[in-house]
Amino acid sequence: MQELTAGRVRRGLADPLPPAAALALLAVAAAALDASVLCWSSIGALAGFSLSGSV
Amino acid sequence: MLFSPGWRAPVRQGEVLAVFTLGLLAGGTLSAAVVWLLSGLAAPLPPSGRAAAILGVAALGAARELGVLRVPLPQNARQIPPEVLQARLRRGSLQFGFELGTGVRTYVSASSPYVLALALLLSHQGLAATLATGTAFGAGRALSAVLTYLARDEHRGAALAVRMPAVKTTAALAILAALALLLP
Repeated sequence: MQELTAGRVRRGLADPLPPAAALALLAVAAAALDASVLCWSSIGALAGFSLSGSV
Repeated sequence: MLFSPGWRAPVRQGEVLAVFTLGLLAGGTLSAAVVWLLSGLAAPLPPSGRAAAILGVAALGAARELGVLRVPLPQNARQIPPEVLQARLRRGSLQFGFELGTGVRTYVSASSPYVLALALLLSHQGLAATLATGTAFGAGRALSAVLTYLARDEHRGAALAVRMPAVKTTAALAILAALALLLP
């Protein structure tokens, strides 16, 4: 039962949507603050992450 | 999936993940360097026209991910041959990561990488910003593999298939919003 719960927590933490949402917020916030390099890097990470699932 | 549970190879899976990640970072950085070299061709165009074109493509990308538009992607519709991983696992993982990181060697199933490439090409950013963006692209791809490795879930593929439309849409909308705020 303990292992089942740990597995469920682990799977929940590995959900791809929260990292995508965090990167999205970072990109928009960096753009609003005119932090150009951070914004472009966040956009790059988002674009790479949007190809999740192949490996 | 390379980082799913049930690993039986003689090399540790974490080691393979590290080498694979290194390949992704190198591949993304190389592609960004090529885009930066080509972006000089766009420099003579008026900034307002370039910004309008970038935002137009970003809007098209968002509309595609929302299912409003059907736009076929000009992807390289081939898989990286599995033999890459069969000869030498460490070297093969590095090569596999590098080829995936370049973004031109296999399927690219989302709009955002195209929007990113075109935005970098037309906006002609500085070399450091462009390379950082390419490295971050590789890191974004690596994050997916890291999460798969950490999840240790036999049904990870099915879980991802359910979640990916929302991830792609979030990415496309955020990129559109960020570029609209950032570009002049």
